[in-house]
Order: sequence, then C-alpha cells, then structure tokens
Amino acid sequence: MIWEAIRLSLRSIRRNVLRSFLTLLGIVIGVAAVIAMLTIGSGTTQKVKADISKLGSNLLVVRAGRPAGPGGPGGLDQAVRPLAEKDLAALVAHLSGARAISPASQKQVRVIFGTESLTSGVTGTDSAYLDARDWKLVSGRPFSDSETRSGTGVCLIGETVRQQFFGAGDPEGEIIRVNRTSCKIVGLLEPKGYTGFGQDQDNVVLMPLAAYQRRIAGNRDIDNIYIAADDRTPTTELQPRVEDILRDARRITPDRESDFAIRDMTQIADAMASATTTMTGMQGAVAGVSLLVGGIGIMNIMLVSVTERTREIGIRLAIGAHEKHILIQFLVEATVLSLLGGIIGILIGLALAGLASMTLTIPFAPSPAVILLAVGFSALIGMVFGFFPALRGARLDPIDALRHE
Amino acid sequence: MAAGAPLITFDTVWKSYGQGEAKVHALAGVDLAIRRGEFVAIMGPSGSGKSTAMNIIGCLDTPTAGTYSFMGVDAGRLDRNRRAMLRNLYVGFVFQGYNLLARTTAAENVELPLIYRGVAARERRDLAMQALAEVGLVGREHHTPAELSGGQQQRVAIARAIVTRPTLLVADEPTGNLDTARTHEIMELLTRLNKELGLTVAMVTHEADVAEYAERTIRFLDGHVASDTMNMETA
Repeated sequence: MIWEAIRLSLRSIRRNVLRSFLTLLGIVIGVAAVIAMLTIGSGTTQKVKADISKLGSNLLVVRAGRPAGPGGPGGLDQAVRPLAEKDLAALVAHLSGARAISPASQKQVRVIFGTESLTSGVTGTDSAYLDARDWKLVSGRPFSDSETRSGTGVCLIGETVRQQFFGAGDPEGEIIRVNRTSCKIVGLLEPKGYTGFGQDQDNVVLMPLAAYQRRIAGNRDIDNIYIAADDRTPTTELQPRVEDILRDARRITPDRESDFAIRDMTQIADAMASATTTMTGMQGAVAGVSLLVGGIGIMNIMLVSVTERTREIGIRLAIGAHEKHILIQFLVEATVLSLLGGIIGILIGLALAGLASMTLTIPFAPSPAVILLAVGFSALIGMVFGFFPALRGARLDPIDALRHE
Repeated sequence: MAAGAPLITFDTVWKSYGQGEAKVHALAGVDLAIRRGEFVAIMGPSGSGKSTAMNIIGCLDTPTAGTYSFMGVDAGRLDRNRRAMLRNLYVGFVFQGYNLLARTTAAENVELPLIYRGVAARERRDLAMQALAEVGLVGREHHTPAELSGGQQQRVAIARAIVTRPTLLVADEPTGNLDTARTHEIMELLTRLNKELGLTVAMVTHEADVAEYAERTIRFLDGHVASDTMNMETA
C-alpha cells in the first residue's frame, strides 16, 4: 500500500512538473540555506580553532598592564611598568610545568634587501620562542644561546619575507637591513598562513632579543613572555603559578592588583569557537524559518491538489478506498514532495558551502548529522503540512466528490 | 442464502434533507426488494428519489429512517469504512461520465479496486487483462481515457466494476453520454454480464428503450415507488 502510494505520488509529481518544482522551491531554499549556513559555520569554527592553535597550543601570554576587568578596558595604564629581564629570569628559575618560556618584543619595521623593501613584524626573542609557538624551521638553524646572549645580528625570516626578497631562492647567509642595522639570515620559518583576522603570520623577522633591544627598540623592555605548558599541565593550573612568581618578582604587595596580564590562548580559542558556534546556530535558526515558509507552500499546493482531484477521490472512495487509503496517498505525496525538495536543497547547500569554503579559505566541513537532520526535517514538514489537506481529502463524501466538476 | 432470495431490501426507507419547514423527503417510506441475478431498471423524473435510492443501494449513502439491508447485512447502520469495504467486496459502479482516472491507462484504471483489496501487482495485472478481455477491449490496455472513444471508456469503466467479481453492479445512466449504436453495444454487454456471470444489475435510466433491456422496471415518483413491473422478454 505504501509502495503503491509512493509510486502514485511520483507520478503525480511528474505530471505537474512546473507546479511541483515551484512547490519544492520553498523547501529547497530553506534546506539549502540551513545546510550552507551550518556547513560554513562549522568550517569557520574549525578555522578559528586552527588559527588560534597556530599561535601555539597550551600557551599563556604575559604582558605588562592591568588585566582586562569589569572596571573597564584593561588597556595600558599611564605608567605601565614593562616586563623586564628579571621577571623572565624568575619564571625560568621557579616555574614548573612549562615546556618553554620565551620573551618577545615586537615592532613593525622596514626591512630592506637590495632595492626591495617590506614593512615586517620584527620580533626580538630567544631560541625557546620556536618551541613555545610550535613553530618549525624549513631550513637553517635557530639562534644559538651565545647569539641570543650577545645579541648578534642574525635572524630567521618568514615565508612572505623570503618571497618578497628572494623569490624561490635560498635566503640563507644573505644579509638584510632591519631599520638601521644589518643581520644575517640563518634560517627560514615554516609558513603559517593568515590568521582568521587577516593578519599575515609569515611576514616576520625573528632576531635575538638583545639585538632587537639594542638596535631597534632602544630599551631593555620585554613586551610579552610566552609560556607553553607541558603535556601534563593544563594552562588553567599554570596560570596562577605564573601570577604568583611574577607578583613576587615584581614585588607587588598582596593588597595591590597585578600590573601585568596573563592571557590563556586555549581559553580564547574555546571562547572564540563557542561564539562562532552560537552565531552559526542563530544563522541556522533564521534559515530554518524559511523552511517553515516552504512547509506552508506545501500545504497550500496540497490543498489545491486535493480540490483539483476531488472527483478522483470520489471515484477511489466509491470503489472501496478507505479514509486511510486517501489519507496515506496525499500524506505520502506531500512527504515525497518535500523530501525531494530536501534532497535538492542539501545538494545546493553543500555546493554553496563548498564554494564559500574555497573563496573564504575555510575548511569544507559537511556534517552527516546535519544532513540527516535536514532529510528528516524536510520529511517531517511534508507530513505535518500535508496532514491537513490529506485529512480534508479523506473526509470527503463520495457522493459529493463524484458530483464535483 | 437461497438462490433467488432478496439481495437488497428496503424496509420503509426514508431519506430526508434539511430541518423543520425546509425539510425535504427524497425517499418517503420506500419498500423494495431485489433478488440476486435480477436486472432492474430504475426510472423516474429528476427529484423523484431514484438517485438517492441508487446511492443507498450502492452503499454510498445511508437512510435517515427505516432499514436498508444488503446481503442480509443492515448496511444502513454501518460506518463509512465498513461501507467502503462492502463496496469494494460486493459492488461495482458504472457512471454516466465514465469517471475514469485521467492520464492513467485503461489497465491501471481497471486495477484500481484491486489495490484497495491488497491484491499483489502481478495478479492485479492478470485480473485487469481478463476483465478488459471480457468487455472486448483487448489491445487497448495501455491507452489513456483521452485516447479512447466514449463507448470504449465506458467499457473500461465496466471492466473496472466487474474486475472484483462483485455481486451487484450499480449503473447510473451508463449510456447517457453515448449515441444509439454505442448504447446498444453497452446494453448488450451489461445483459451478457447479467446472464453469464449472474451479476445483479441495478441501472438508473430515463430512456425507455434502455430500460427495456432490463427484466424489471421500478418507477420512482415523489419519493415513492410508483410502479414496479416485469418487462416482456426482449427478443
């Protein structure tokens, strides 16, 4: 009986191709919108998470200045006491549970090679920086400890810098000018690509902190201290330890607030990811409204179909169809119709999401659960919105229905 | 049930529409019996109650008062679905306007009642072919109604009515849309089915020459049976 009804409904859909297509359009657009939104959304979430993990996993970043709090933006106070060599030394000496501790000071500086020039993010740091940020070298070597200590003019460059100055060539051993100082390239950093905020992470030059401080910054300040937790220590556990050691090193009495901030990149990653997920959910819900509209379209056309086929219903009832036969026939027709719309919608939605993932360079992340849900939901819409028209058809009086012109 | 025992009995059947002053009696206490194997013509002017009587005979409608029994069953007290079952099992319908499903082949139209009986597809096909052969439509199985003449369409409708081997055939002006030659053919066919299959036929008509094919003529007037006569044997 069900099989018969499916066959019948396919035939009836085929007979009214244009009308069926227009009916489907609502469901197609609704499902396509939901699928595209959710797929792009989950791709974005993945992208954001990946971006933040590119900064380094299980990473704490310390910088001078009050932490952001309910009192207002945490920004820089008038007189911020910068981080200094002794703060770093205290962490290195006393902090347990850290895999790598590294200072970093940054500045946008003009870098010159031959006649080419480029404004690049120049970072003064030490050899632990690569470890802290999970950053590898494609070729060459990191700074040696003695180079770090003495502030020798050596540097590591990112992929963007290499391309700007050397094309596909090997940059190792070349001398570039950074600000007014020159430094020799000893290694090439692995490409990291852009962050989700459009920042080129490969447009960088790393040099020993002492060299940076002396020749570029002109002071002995440290902007940030990167602390990577080891595998056994969660960052949430590491953070209070860092805070204690630094308060001690910076001689902050217990009655005063810390004058430095510790950012937990893992928590930021989670927060960003959950924000994106929330956005995705909202967009999905908005798209879902169009599904409702599509359902009403189905109800509309099914009512037309029942009215148009009143005589057919009368014949079927006269020759012995029960109410349930008529009910099933129209219910199946509505369900098949909206299921068809759902499937077309899924294909279009996935295509849109694929296109978006190519243009936005986010991962294409179709979710089988979401697709299955869309299939189920579109079938459900057909049943729900098809029920009333089907019932109307089934309740017809055969005598009246036969008289219907 | 012995042969010749009443298949259909009306016991003071009333069918009324409307309320109070506006109340209209389509049937006003009709008593009637039709035996198995009879070929009955039902005549009468419009509004005489003949159509109402036919709807009740075909178990499409129920009396307001009185008893309608079909095969010994009080069919007037059955609910919609039970009456649908009775129709499916024992009654075949032929209408003036043929009432075939458009854009559906002759064979599929004939199969229709079997679907609601739950007959398997292959058996349905076989039975439909057999019924189409019985009405003389071999070779037209895959034509849609639009591709068939009026007479052929009515033959398909008759095939659809007899494919279930019903006890009763209810025909409502079966030749109303046909010319004289086609009328004659269809009436010959109904007569043959009545004789060969022992099919009881109840036929509404307003044409006297059509009624002559029947063995018996019942005339309705103002909701009553005005006359009930046996016809002379036609040659």
